[in-house]
Amino acid sequence: MNARIACLLLVATTTAGAETLTDAAAIVDRANLAAYYAGADGRSEARMIIRDAQGREQRRQFTVLRRNVTPGGDQDFLVVFSQPADVRGTVYLVKKHLERDDDRWLYLPGLDLIKRIAAGDKRTSFVGAHYFYEDVSGRRPRDDSHELVETTAEHYVLRHVPLDKASVEFASYVTWIDRNTFLPMKIEYTDEAGKAYRRVEVLAVEDFQGHPTVTRSRVSDLTGGGHTDMELRFIGYDLGLPVEVFTERSLRTPPREWLRRPGD
Amino acid sequence: MRRGWLPLALLLACPAAGGQDRGPGPGPDEADDWTDEWSAEPAVGSPWSGFIEIAGGSRFEEDPQVGRRGTLADLRTRLERDWRVEQATASLKADGLYDAIDQEFDLVLREAALAFSPGSRIDVKAGRQVLTWGTGDLLFLNDLFPKDFVSFFAGREDEYLKAPSDTVRLTAWSDIVNLDFAWTPLFEPDDYLTGERFSFFSPAAGRLVAPEPPLGADLPTRSLDNGEFALRLFTTRRGVEYALYGYRGFFKQPSDFRDPAGPGFAPLSALGGSLRRPLAGGLWNAEVSYYFSRDDRAGADPAVPNDQLRLLSGYEREWFANFTVGFQYYLEWTGDHGELIANSPWPQFEPEERRQLATLRVSWRTRQDALRWSLFAFWSPTDHDYHLRPALTWRHSDAWTFTAGANLFGGQDLDTFFGQLEDNQNAYLRVRRHF
Repeated sequence: MNARIACLLLVATTTAGAETLTDAAAIVDRANLAAYYAGADGRSEARMIIRDAQGREQRRQFTVLRRNVTPGGDQDFLVVFSQPADVRGTVYLVKKHLERDDDRWLYLPGLDLIKRIAAGDKRTSFVGAHYFYEDVSGRRPRDDSHELVETTAEHYVLRHVPLDKASVEFASYVTWIDRNTFLPMKIEYTDEAGKAYRRVEVLAVEDFQGHPTVTRSRVSDLTGGGHTDMELRFIGYDLGLPVEVFTERSLRTPPREWLRRPGD
Repeated sequence: MRRGWLPLALLLACPAAGGQDRGPGPGPDEADDWTDEWSAEPAVGSPWSGFIEIAGGSRFEEDPQVGRRGTLADLRTRLERDWRVEQATASLKADGLYDAIDQEFDLVLREAALAFSPGSRIDVKAGRQVLTWGTGDLLFLNDLFPKDFVSFFAGREDEYLKAPSDTVRLTAWSDIVNLDFAWTPLFEPDDYLTGERFSFFSPAAGRLVAPEPPLGADLPTRSLDNGEFALRLFTTRRGVEYALYGYRGFFKQPSDFRDPAGPGFAPLSALGGSLRRPLAGGLWNAEVSYYFSRDDRAGADPAVPNDQLRLLSGYEREWFANFTVGFQYYLEWTGDHGELIANSPWPQFEPEERRQLATLRVSWRTRQDALRWSLFAFWSPTDHDYHLRPALTWRHSDAWTFTAGANLFGGQDLDTFFGQLEDNQNAYLRVRRHF
């Protein structure tokens, strides 16, 4: 993309963000689009360092392909692991649905086994990280009620309460949403006692093809200790990913052509 | 056992094998200083990788039939690699194994295959490979690909339950239904109990045996007709997975006792179907398979298995974060059971007409998945026997994994599937270093 268009888009985004929104649901919808729906599709390479309370380290490296089925609606994700050695070749496929539970599969190459993952496990550790499965593909805005608590110079501060309390481990969470980019910059989860026990924070944002994109983030366990850092690189949008990439076929045979780094 | 553990001491003493991870790596709290290079390749086209593993296992007491305590003493090196050859991918997974129980060195090829796509919606993988389908958890109805029960009962890593076969697999993808066809030109049986490592019940002897030489069954003569053909039609509709299966080949365990010179494998055809879908926050599956014993459709020949109807239903759900519980109920309904009993030389040892099995899986992942507790239990209310598989896996780092577990068996009678393994109860320990 040429630099002038990128610049114009950036200005457009900034201008759009300049008006002050007051409707919590509208802010959440914008944030959801900014965080999970940039472009018609996208790819990135991610790596995580998982540190437990004892300081022990684990690493994961994977490539994520994403495609929006409808803007702001259903989405497909394909996650292909390359590191470490014992998870290499593991592939995770998500069909995210707004009207019903997501469909998720994990391919384990050692056994040639396609393992289905139950919808109820969404707030479970994603491959050992402090990130949850739901953090990878996004939480449905309609699963919570939203309240605008404060509007600061930089952020909209919102509080969210789950509609189905039994399906999640938190009592509520607070998000700090950037007024310009609409990216949630910090999320803090609170338990029944009102104590914050989990924090997601954005450490770096960069612009790719006009889309402000989180490139570094951290999830911290505030009670048990430990955190996971995630870094994203080799980001590209609007690649024209075909629908066939997000089928069972890609579990056994990852789509080499689309996993290649842009420019390679 | 002492012999088995010596290489571990060497491995631990070796500086090249020590340490946490490759590369310089950042300190404990230096996220900003993530200086090491991203691995050159994203997700495909990998270099060599693999692991070194040492595993030891022992009975609690010596088995009087087998005459020893040791059940597992492996020193294993795995090497894996993929190559891109034009439009095809060649893959290799090879294990160099020194097995101190059998006292032999083996090169075990888990995979040596070529994968390519002759059409835009057709995938072919030809060569040595591991194949899995069906919905059961450690119970197999329509999955008639070879299993290695010796590894399974000895406490090797779960992966080794699935034995490789030399197969051509063709998968055709379409929007309506997908088709899988697997042709194994030379019949590949299970790794069954031979008496070499584990004793088993012999109905002819009426007791537990560990024959010398070990039990061996003759493979079917090599011919096009004696290969294995497995077929699957499958699709997913609104989150529900449907599949139909067909198989033509042989029972995978010694099953043909017509020839007094020795056992063989009886011809088998099978048809079945399965369903898997989300239900109440968990997953529900059901599977059915009908086994046609082609040489004994009437069920009157006791030297050949009868037809069987196999049914399975299971439900799995995460009860709380990282704690998953799964149940299965399984039925093996032997056809013409009256004929079998009437003609059998040992009717008292024949299987129940409706053998039932219940399974329970409990798994709990703690400390960012570094510590995994698991229990898998089989229990048969008709055979009155059980098999318990507790295990604890500690993933110390991305390089080192330690696993300790046990295989416990018991039952009212010695002639049942798990009851016969009572003298083979064992505990094991595995140490693996990935590279």
